[in-house]
Amino acid sequence: MKQIALYGKGGIGKSTTSANLSAALSLSGCDVLQIGCDPKRDSTRMLMQGRLIPTVMDLVRERGAASVTPADVVYTGFNGIRCVEAGGPEPGVGCAGRGIIATFQLLEKFGTLTGDVIVYDVLGDVVCGGFAMPMREGYAQEVYLVTSGELMSLYAANNICKAIERLSARPRSRCRLAGIICNAKNLPREEELVAEFAHRVNSHLIQYIPRDRTVQLAELDRKTVLEYEPSSEQAQRYRDLAARVMENTRFTIPTPLEIDELESLARQFV
Amino acid sequence: MSLNHLPASSYRTEGCTLTGALSVTTQIRDAITVVHGPSGCTHHNFSLLHATSLDHDRVAIPPIISSGLSETEVVFGGEGALDRTLDRAISREPAAIFVLSTCIAETIGDDVAAVCNAKVGVPVIVIPTAGFLGGSFQTGVNNALVALAGMAEPSPGRKGQVNIIGEKNLEYEVDENFAEVTRLLSLLDLSVSTRFVHNLTAEEIRSVGAARLNVLRDPSLIPVGEYCKERFDIPYISGFPVGLSGTITFLESVGAACAIDPRPAIEAEHSFEQETLGDFADIAGHEISFSSLFPVQDGERAVRDIARAFRLDVIPSGTPVPVPVTPPVGITGVRRMLHRWRRAIHA
Repeated sequence: MKQIALYGKGGIGKSTTSANLSAALSLSGCDVLQIGCDPKRDSTRMLMQGRLIPTVMDLVRERGAASVTPADVVYTGFNGIRCVEAGGPEPGVGCAGRGIIATFQLLEKFGTLTGDVIVYDVLGDVVCGGFAMPMREGYAQEVYLVTSGELMSLYAANNICKAIERLSARPRSRCRLAGIICNAKNLPREEELVAEFAHRVNSHLIQYIPRDRTVQLAELDRKTVLEYEPSSEQAQRYRDLAARVMENTRFTIPTPLEIDELESLARQFV
Repeated sequence: MSLNHLPASSYRTEGCTLTGALSVTTQIRDAITVVHGPSGCTHHNFSLLHATSLDHDRVAIPPIISSGLSETEVVFGGEGALDRTLDRAISREPAAIFVLSTCIAETIGDDVAAVCNAKVGVPVIVIPTAGFLGGSFQTGVNNALVALAGMAEPSPGRKGQVNIIGEKNLEYEVDENFAEVTRLLSLLDLSVSTRFVHNLTAEEIRSVGAARLNVLRDPSLIPVGEYCKERFDIPYISGFPVGLSGTITFLESVGAACAIDPRPAIEAEHSFEQETLGDFADIAGHEISFSSLFPVQDGERAVRDIARAFRLDVIPSGTPVPVPVTPPVGITGVRRMLHRWRRAIHA
């Protein structure tokens, strides 16, 4: 079983990339489970025909953990992909990080974490220990960073490299950086910049995904690109990503950059 | 943001902020203290307070209830649990409710004050006591005393007697030390108005602003003394009398603060001191060493002065004599310590 986690700056397209990647993996014959680890709970929406499925934390809050069953939290979406949303507290109260930890413990107890591939789609930044949970032992060993060529997005990716570096130093930790996905804003020389960033942090650019209107159209139709327009060039990009993820063997301990290194790197590609 | 600092010892004055505050608020007989946190925070402290009072031959059930935070409240917020616990407390019709926060409540950012402010009909007083913020037991004591003093109004012009501020309610000799200070004050024709806070009702707190002088238990309470000076215009003496010379100094300071001539009191106390020296003449000239569970710091000078007054040689090979955790209060405290030294020396 392959377990991968997608991290990156908020709004960069982690959920879109995750859902399309899951769809492509599923269409290639894999049994896929996608887990949204963000209180916003919209990771799996495009796999569920636009439906916001009940979250694990909502069910726990309403019924108590003891009366929640596996059937209550796992929903089958496009092409048999199993979908789970962790959910979390209302904005502004409680501790969302602890919510992720509690969700993982419950899914573990249910024996839900099975299949050929599990895709963890994690919220914007590793703000606390709870959101590092998917990277910990027993869960995702391969972390993909989603970034564009914009400095703030690279900055967030670099920050997550720090978390991976720290976690990978622990005994028995198998968490590694598996690659950088460039979800482009179609900036000039963007692919080159992100490839160079990937190289500098001791990783590689695994897939360049250009900005394409098909993605927006598919989302308006509440579908992934793979379902909405499987013959499109964009769909092919996601299939390429899926194939490369399955073949990937380059898992590294990242070497995060200092902020001024990052800035001068970005300046080279203006 | 407070930094990690490892305490020099596990002595409880360096312990948890929550415990310090509870040692104060549980002394209000007709109030309830709500601990907003996991039930373990309450259980530990309840046990400590209960066991300590039993150890002191008092049977007291500390009036504490817990909001019982579990993982569900940690994830979704604990304000609802606090609200329900406050209602439970209110249904018992207490004269006041003290709400003490814990590490968990402060970590998840519950707005404790907002929940408490919504309650009407009974005073609900919030005292921040999360231990991980770096405060000690003493911080909890001080925070609680300041919060309680905030319940009393200033009474300008009314100058009553003397308040005792911040007694160590968990020390074995709390009542003996209080009796000694009362005796010394009576030599100056002064009496105690409020033991702030030791075995009080919520109503009795309200008169704390009417005293002419506050006597603090020890100098770590100076922030409380300053608060009361500002709020009620009451001067303070920064500590109970320590040792022989400290007793005389205490009488001088109290006399000066209350415009009373201390000379007759000092004369009486000098003769008590002489009498004490005579009573323990049999231990003079012996060789002793100090034996204490904890490093003797604050009180070391006072204890060395006492040894010198009785012509005892303090050398490492001397007979170990017990030195109390807090230095002896007044000449009565000195006599109590000397009784124990005598037993060790003549053993």
